Amino acid sequence: MSDIQPGAAFSTRPDAGGRRLRRVLLIVFAIAAAAVLVAPLSTSDQADSLGLPVLVDRSQIRILTTIGMFVVMASAWNLVGGLTGYGAFGNVAFFGLGAYTCAVLVDPHKFHLPMLLAIALAPAVPVLFAVLVGLPLLRLRGHYFAIATLGTAVAVGEVVKNIEYLGGATGLFPPIVRHGDLLFLYLMVAAALLAIATGYLVLRSRFGYGLIAIRENEEAAAVLGVNTTAYKVAAFALAAALTGLAGGVYAVWNSFINQEIGFSLDFNIQIILMAVIGGAGTLFGPVIGAIALELLIQGLAGQGTIAVYAQIGLGLLLAITVVFVPRGVVDFFGGSSRLSLSHLRRSLRETSV
Amino acid sequence: MPLLSLAGVGKRFGGVDALSEVTFDIASGEILGIIGPNGAGKTTLLNCISGVHPLDRGSISLEGTRISGLPPHRVARLGIGRTFQVVKPFASMTVRENAAVGALFGSSNLGPRQAFQAADEVLEVVGMTAKAGLPVASLTIPDRKRLEVARALATRPRLLLLDEVMAGLNAVETDEALEMVRAVHARGVTIVLIEHVMKVVVGLCQRVVVLNFGQSLAEGTPQEVLNDPRVIEAYLGEKYARRMRGGADA
Repeated sequence: MSDIQPGAAFSTRPDAGGRRLRRVLLIVFAIAAAAVLVAPLSTSDQADSLGLPVLVDRSQIRILTTIGMFVVMASAWNLVGGLTGYGAFGNVAFFGLGAYTCAVLVDPHKFHLPMLLAIALAPAVPVLFAVLVGLPLLRLRGHYFAIATLGTAVAVGEVVKNIEYLGGATGLFPPIVRHGDLLFLYLMVAAALLAIATGYLVLRSRFGYGLIAIRENEEAAAVLGVNTTAYKVAAFALAAALTGLAGGVYAVWNSFINQEIGFSLDFNIQIILMAVIGGAGTLFGPVIGAIALELLIQGLAGQGTIAVYAQIGLGLLLAITVVFVPRGVVDFFGGSSRLSLSHLRRSLRETSV
Repeated sequence: MPLLSLAGVGKRFGGVDALSEVTFDIASGEILGIIGPNGAGKTTLLNCISGVHPLDRGSISLEGTRISGLPPHRVARLGIGRTFQVVKPFASMTVRENAAVGALFGSSNLGPRQAFQAADEVLEVVGMTAKAGLPVASLTIPDRKRLEVARALATRPRLLLLDEVMAGLNAVETDEALEMVRAVHARGVTIVLIEHVMKVVVGLCQRVVVLNFGQSLAEGTPQEVLNDPRVIEAYLGEKYARRMRGGADA
């Protein structure tokens, strides 16, 4: 009994299989992260002039950076949707607000701050927005919360589009950073590591237990002493900070941001898909989901009608995931008997309640 | 000074007075029973004390400090724990983790490591040590009720409000639950329990408050209260009460 460490709740079933899986995942991620960090160096001009083999080309660096971005956003969504059990459907608003904030701050005609400082400050507006909007919206539950957050995100996008200072429908154009591929890859990977570390710390803290307790039964959590309002808003704001950070990096990386990109409903859905397919409420689920889904999307991109069918396929995938593996891929492969038919039937029963 | 005192507590739901003018004190160290027919307002009263429902009238004080108007988590941190009649476990957690959440928050406010130690302690008190590692889903109803008590106890309450922890238990399980409540009381926790099982009320409570239609109808020792014609009338109807009286006269 005493070998069940504090923090085990986040795996929801702290059996030996789950712990072993987590250790394996940790090693796999360490190797993958090292490869992602080192391999792109071969594209640098210095490496080129030394005659080292080019391991990763620039388009692949772009894909890796995008994956990093979605790891941040899916992990951030997980804090609210996975841990706290509030199905947020408008997290892209945090991305858009972060991107616009950063774009305004680096703009030579506006604040003209150094790029890294602007990125660091990007989460400020999304966090403020999350607190203001979270206080009323987090009183809603289930579908109502989902619809309200989605509506809010769309509304904010429309408002931003109509503000002259923010470039109106045209958008903003942060200065292009030349030869910035590697820089932005590392910035995004750093943000992803920050998001994963945040999740890790949250899951091991009193805060994380409070969030899970809220997800499982909010009334019971309250009478045990969990300040449910403060906890929910804090989780929402934390998600906003991380998502806004990703938005900030994106704005200068892409050197262009408008309402359509910043408040893209495609991004919005993808974030949720990644977290849910990978395993909502787990630490590495959203990471795996982000990597797998982004690779799939990139692989299918530009293939004409297949890409369209793929969109439909993603919808089906979400439905199948929610019904058959409600706790995601990580949990599905995490236990010994989870692959059995009886487990599928059990999850089917549980989700149909 | 009483541990908890209720003064003129009133709560309305729409046009219905769920509670009106409820006034009584709870002394430190006692086991107080709250009984009454269905719909009398017993659970509403617990909800008012624990801050789940805000009061419409009156006030509730813990050792002279007003607690009515505080949100549930503040009331919990001041040392009032409660269970729910319809159990509300954290379903994805193990038994031990459920209890640990109580210890993490509540008035104990421990760090994660100490909270798990505290959880083991309370699980021993309620006799669930052997089931600590089990997921809640595998528990029987009596065990879920025990867990509900363990979780509340883990908050280190001075006052524990138990809402029908014996309901639905068979005779053996009820006896075990009685032992559990006695064990909790022996740790110096003042207990208020809502109960329908009279064997429990008589066996445990030093004092009983009877609620009827949201008002306190009678107060006294279990024997006094159960022989009170007004209480008999409330439970069994006027006709039966008269016959009882008639029988006593004859």
